[in-house]
Amino acid sequence: MFLTLQTNDKRPIYQQITDGIKSLIAGGNLREGMMLPSVRQVAGDLGVNLNTVAVAYRQLQDEGFVTVRHGSGAVIASRTARRIDEADIYQPLRTALTQLLLSGLTGREIEETVRLELALLQQKGGAQ
Amino acid sequence: MNAPTEFEWMILSSTLLIFLVIVYGLVKYLWKQPLQNGPGYFLGIEVPEDFYEGSGKVWLKSYRAMLVALHLILAVFFGICFASRRLDLIPLCGFWALLDVVAMLAFHAWTRHRLGANPPVRAAAIALESRRLGDYINWPLEALSAGFIAISWWFLLRADGMRIDLLSPLLMTWATLVLPSKILLVRSGSPLSAERAEEHFRYQDALRRIGISQLNAWGWGCVVMLFGVALGRNCSPAVIPFLRWTVVGVFLAIFATMIFTVFSGMRLAATVGRDLRPPGSFATPFGRGAWIWKSRSFMIWYIIWVSGIVALVLYAQFR
Repeated sequence: MFLTLQTNDKRPIYQQITDGIKSLIAGGNLREGMMLPSVRQVAGDLGVNLNTVAVAYRQLQDEGFVTVRHGSGAVIASRTARRIDEADIYQPLRTALTQLLLSGLTGREIEETVRLELALLQQKGGAQ
Repeated sequence: MNAPTEFEWMILSSTLLIFLVIVYGLVKYLWKQPLQNGPGYFLGIEVPEDFYEGSGKVWLKSYRAMLVALHLILAVFFGICFASRRLDLIPLCGFWALLDVVAMLAFHAWTRHRLGANPPVRAAAIALESRRLGDYINWPLEALSAGFIAISWWFLLRADGMRIDLLSPLLMTWATLVLPSKILLVRSGSPLSAERAEEHFRYQDALRRIGISQLNAWGWGCVVMLFGVALGRNCSPAVIPFLRWTVVGVFLAIFATMIFTVFSGMRLAATVGRDLRPPGSFATPFGRGAWIWKSRSFMIWYIIWVSGIVALVLYAQFR
């Protein structure tokens, strides 16, 4: 199981880690009860500060995706977020759709793109 | 000139064997090490395709000249020791190992400085698998090793009435203290190239396991010597020659295991690492990652450990 980070990504590293893990959870690669490596291990392997990874894990914990057990590391808790805030979900979607429209794609092309991306995400993890 | 004593024969045969093994390692593995990761790399550093048709030849020649020079130094040192029958100087050849490591590291650093313009990778990956110490370190064996050391010291300290020189047992005990480096090796990691991440992960894991098995072999070699010395101090003089040869036999068996481990590890690393990027060899915006040689904790431990050995050897020679 690998977490891939794009080096030219504009998002902060902690956000990339959070999003990457969420994507693996959504795709079914990371299932409930599976353990994540320790903050120290991830930070050491990536060559980033401990706090960067700790912030990512804390965010995942706040959203209910992982449970951090003292001394035994982080465990995947759930495939769904604890708090589903409509604004949190729909606002990024609206922003992305706006970007796609502004880039000149038609409604049909956008629908097709979204369908393909979703299929890719589900296929990658064998999610149902 | 007197005929060599039994002790001298023992030292002579062991040294010769060790030297032959070192030469075998040089010819079979070290000579080709710059090409271990394929023709696209020099000592694990990515190089242009036509590198070995141009400046690469000079780099390869320099590397091999350094190897030859290092091994000549060892050969000359052994020659002087045997010609002058100063076998007590043989332990000083430990400094050659130090010189060898320092020279290799310096050459690596110089190469990285001059050739290390590796293009940063577009994507880096890390494995989301926990590395637990117990998956790599055999704790019962570690406990057994500690038990042997404790028993050896008990033997040494209960040898009343004998003038005990504790310096060499202390040196052997110090040399066995490689557990911290095993722990650091388990904890060290480096970003994986996102292309063929699975293969890079296996390669990195293989290197980690090879390193630990080599440290195990080294540690057990020292434990056996210490135990042999401790037993020798507690046995009657009639038993000592037999004991000495037994300890030498066991030590040589462990040495053979160590050499086998080292060579099979090098072969495995060359096979698994073919055309893969070695750990820590490429730049990412996140840093190179703390692979063992770049880990500050490892360097601190290594300096303390080597300094201890050097100090004890020097004190033993010149007190």
